[in-house]
Amino acid sequence: MGDPRVRNAFAFAAAGLLAAWVPAGAALAAEAGTIKIGAVLPVTGKESKIGGAYKVATEYAVKEINDAGGIDVGGARMRIDLRLLDDTSEPAKSAQLVEQLIAQEKVAAVIGGYGSQLVQAQSVVPERYGVPYVSGGAGATSIYGRSKWVFGVLSPVENLAGTQMEFLDDLVKQGKLKPPLKIALVYENTEHGKDYEKGVTAFAKAHPQEFSVVLDEAFELYAPDYRPLFTRVQAAGADLFMADAHLEDYITMQRTYAQMGLYHQMVTYGARGADAAARKALGAATDYIFASGWWSDLLPYPQVKAFNAAWKAANGSAPQWYHACAYETVRALALAIHNAGSLKPEAIRAALASLELKNSILAPGTLKFSPSGQAILPFVVTQNKPGDKVDLVWPKGDRTGDPVAPIPRT
Amino acid sequence: MTRLLTVAVNSLLAAGLYAEMAYGLAVIYGVMRIINLAHAGIMMLGAYVTLTLFSRFGVDPFLAFFLVGPLFLAFGMALYRTVVRRLPRGGGAPTMGSLLLLFGVWLVLQNFAYLVWSGDTQSILTSYTMRSVSLLGVRVGVPSLLVFAASGASLLFLNLLLRTTYLGKAIRAVTQNRDAALLAGIDAEMISAVAFGLGCAFAGVAGGMLSTLYAFTPDFGRSFLLKSFCIIVLGGMESVTGVAAGALVLAVVENTLAVYTSVPISFQDAITFAILFAALVALPEGLSGLFARAPRLRGAR
Amino acid sequence: MSRLGAAAAAAAALAALGAPLLLGRGTLNDLWNLAFAVILASSWNILGGFAGQVSLGYSAFLGIGAYTTVLLSLRGLDPFATLVPGALLAAVFSVVVGLPGFRLRGPYFTIATIGVGEAVRVAASSVSFTGGSSGVRMPAGSFDFGRNYLAMVGLAIAAVAVAALVRRSAFGRALAAIRQDVDGAEALGVDSTRYKLAAHALSAALVALAGGLYAINFQYIAPGAVFDFRLSLSIVLMPIVGGIGTIVGPLLGALVVSTIQLKLLELPALRDSYLFIYGGLLIVVILFEPKGLVGLAGRLLAALRRASAPPRTAGAG
Repeated sequence: MGDPRVRNAFAFAAAGLLAAWVPAGAALAAEAGTIKIGAVLPVTGKESKIGGAYKVATEYAVKEINDAGGIDVGGARMRIDLRLLDDTSEPAKSAQLVEQLIAQEKVAAVIGGYGSQLVQAQSVVPERYGVPYVSGGAGATSIYGRSKWVFGVLSPVENLAGTQMEFLDDLVKQGKLKPPLKIALVYENTEHGKDYEKGVTAFAKAHPQEFSVVLDEAFELYAPDYRPLFTRVQAAGADLFMADAHLEDYITMQRTYAQMGLYHQMVTYGARGADAAARKALGAATDYIFASGWWSDLLPYPQVKAFNAAWKAANGSAPQWYHACAYETVRALALAIHNAGSLKPEAIRAALASLELKNSILAPGTLKFSPSGQAILPFVVTQNKPGDKVDLVWPKGDRTGDPVAPIPRT
Repeated sequence: MTRLLTVAVNSLLAAGLYAEMAYGLAVIYGVMRIINLAHAGIMMLGAYVTLTLFSRFGVDPFLAFFLVGPLFLAFGMALYRTVVRRLPRGGGAPTMGSLLLLFGVWLVLQNFAYLVWSGDTQSILTSYTMRSVSLLGVRVGVPSLLVFAASGASLLFLNLLLRTTYLGKAIRAVTQNRDAALLAGIDAEMISAVAFGLGCAFAGVAGGMLSTLYAFTPDFGRSFLLKSFCIIVLGGMESVTGVAAGALVLAVVENTLAVYTSVPISFQDAITFAILFAALVALPEGLSGLFARAPRLRGAR
Repeated sequence: MSRLGAAAAAAAALAALGAPLLLGRGTLNDLWNLAFAVILASSWNILGGFAGQVSLGYSAFLGIGAYTTVLLSLRGLDPFATLVPGALLAAVFSVVVGLPGFRLRGPYFTIATIGVGEAVRVAASSVSFTGGSSGVRMPAGSFDFGRNYLAMVGLAIAAVAVAALVRRSAFGRALAAIRQDVDGAEALGVDSTRYKLAAHALSAALVALAGGLYAINFQYIAPGAVFDFRLSLSIVLMPIVGGIGTIVGPLLGALVVSTIQLKLLELPALRDSYLFIYGGLLIVVILFEPKGLVGLAGRLLAALRRASAPPRTAGAG
């Protein structure tokens, strides 16, 4: 650049731009009688579909608590002052926002985000400051057990797979499926997918008489063409087909599956099953697919029915699993603060570690954290039935309908 | 023998789809030496428009092509006139400016789609979507067959257009040597506009085809774009049939790897990149050599 | 550089370094991000702006730096000591890519770099020693944001200084010749491939250093975050918007893009429009002012001068 005047003009313009960065004011202090709780969620960006739902549910839970008078902390009723920030689904930003909430806003506790990558990024922060952190949005085991300050409401994804295998094993015991059963296993190349694969293969290894995995393939998300993958599935000649995939891939894969005329005695796409979009896209091709998840509104507990009704009244539609998990996360934290009797971080942490949330809407009805900080609770299994119906088929005692196995051939 | 048949049938079907995706890119590149990075966005729009025609007006997606084609032709020509035409011309070679400009257009199209249709996963379910027939012992979905037929029809249409009509010959003339074509009295600007429109029309139709096969969101199209690059580099600009051949090569490689080897499927994209890279670099004679040398032949940039 | 310009630059640098004393964590995070962006934009500019070779695969170098730091730290090395091997590895990789890659001209090189960037991402997600798609964590140890901040700002100042030095040097002049006309430069005896490789390696090393600091600050990295194509994109967007090939351009571009990202998009009305903004910026810049903000400022100033100066005779102008 030749002209020094141009450069000078720039220096001033740049200074002006930088002025936009000067912080508008100090962090808003908490009013007396309130507890500041921080939350960082992907309200926009890649994970916004469910991240936005987490926001709605978190705010709903906080409102419910505040409307009832707030949390009783050592005799004084304190309302929750929720500071919820949007990390736009960026892991780096997510971690920085958590740090900001802790270091600048001085929150008493942090509610974690949604999505393994985001929560992983966030979870390194609580240890640095000694602030309790509870996430309702990530089931990856590698997040937990590293810091005593990090807790998670979602059970490990390996257990999602493990629960499905127990369900299948039970079908074998009932005589509906005949061993030995060969499994074709495909999973998305993400942490979620790999945890799923671990769960399935571990169970199969422990039950070699009943199950063996004959195909074990990872695939990239959003692949243009699943025919090569399903050609391999076809060639494997398995009895059961188990997959772990995102919603778009589930739809595309199941289409390819049906068009290639594939058949297996049982079919699952991990947590995918009764998603409305899939039902609309695939029609009858979704029948009898079973899925496993952290929660279902079909759980026959009275507290679940009450939650369903209240949620529907406030939000206009039935709650989904992510609403329930976000809601329960807030309740768990609130109970821990109450049990702690103070806002001291260590007291809240200890209360979380020893927490027993009875009448939890999560199966089996009580929420507890394991020594690693992650809750280890049973998953539910649902199976699609014809005519857009869904049945809860596991845990056995909570069934709303009988599982159909093997899938009837058309 | 079944494996060979499986590879053959699957490759043919995939090639039809890939070729359709690549035609649009090839036409624009050939005439204007512009690499249309907005191609993915236009395919995505084509998918959404087909969806809207289907869900709002009940038009069968394969019939909708006759609407989508002309619509995107007009859209492409409008895009050319408003945006692309203002690009400084880069002699014989594509310019960075064109690359980045069209990339910007892609981003804008994506945001537009998010606003109009939301980021929800969409797909099209017709009465025949889930049906399949048996072809040489291999089960094939009906939509895949229809896509292949449509792609074959496109190939015929393009060939006829390029060989028999004045427009087609003018396009080929400009592709071979723009300056000579100008000297011969061809209105290169008009041809460029039509070619861009034609490229967008094919992209839109390709998007419509994709919508019958896959579930999609506004983010859709990125992985198809790279495959399309690979195909036009492999197959070349000289003829539309070359593009079809390039598509077939790519499809055969993918399916052969899937059926005869145990190379993880997740590596497929990496393999496409490797082919693209290798084709760009290591084919000195022939196609990419032709592109790389063209600036030298034509003189300064 | 004029006195006033040098003073302004020094003042800015000092202000940036002294900020932790005055500002809250939120703003310091923003400044850290800005410094990070400045390094990426200025480094990329060495190859992309000075030499005119536009690469859309720079996230690969960022990731190499980040992963080298984490993996070596897990084996016991001091995190800051791992920065050097990371930079070297990135430089070597840039040569491996560049040797075949630089045989391609212009946009073909660009497309090839897209492919390379994506291939590296897929490889990192699939291989187990990098932790696969789950990513890896730094070993639990002392985390010192103050130190991280100073390191990042220091690197930003160094990167800009390096770019300025290159520009003035014979090396920089050779790069400029290559940008304008490769064949002409070759005819004058410039071995264009060697210079391109050198520029590529230098910028790759700088980006990798930033990657290592990124890993040290965030303590957790995953392929999706550091090898993201959108990152490669924003690395290119910043110098283009600011003024490709200049020294100040990447800085301005980093400032503008960061401001958009951090401040503008906070406004609820604009939250879902970031693609419009990035796409629109690209379109506007390419069509109307390819020299970016720097070029725009130049034109504005020239117009102002013409408007204010009295008409001169032909000889004196």
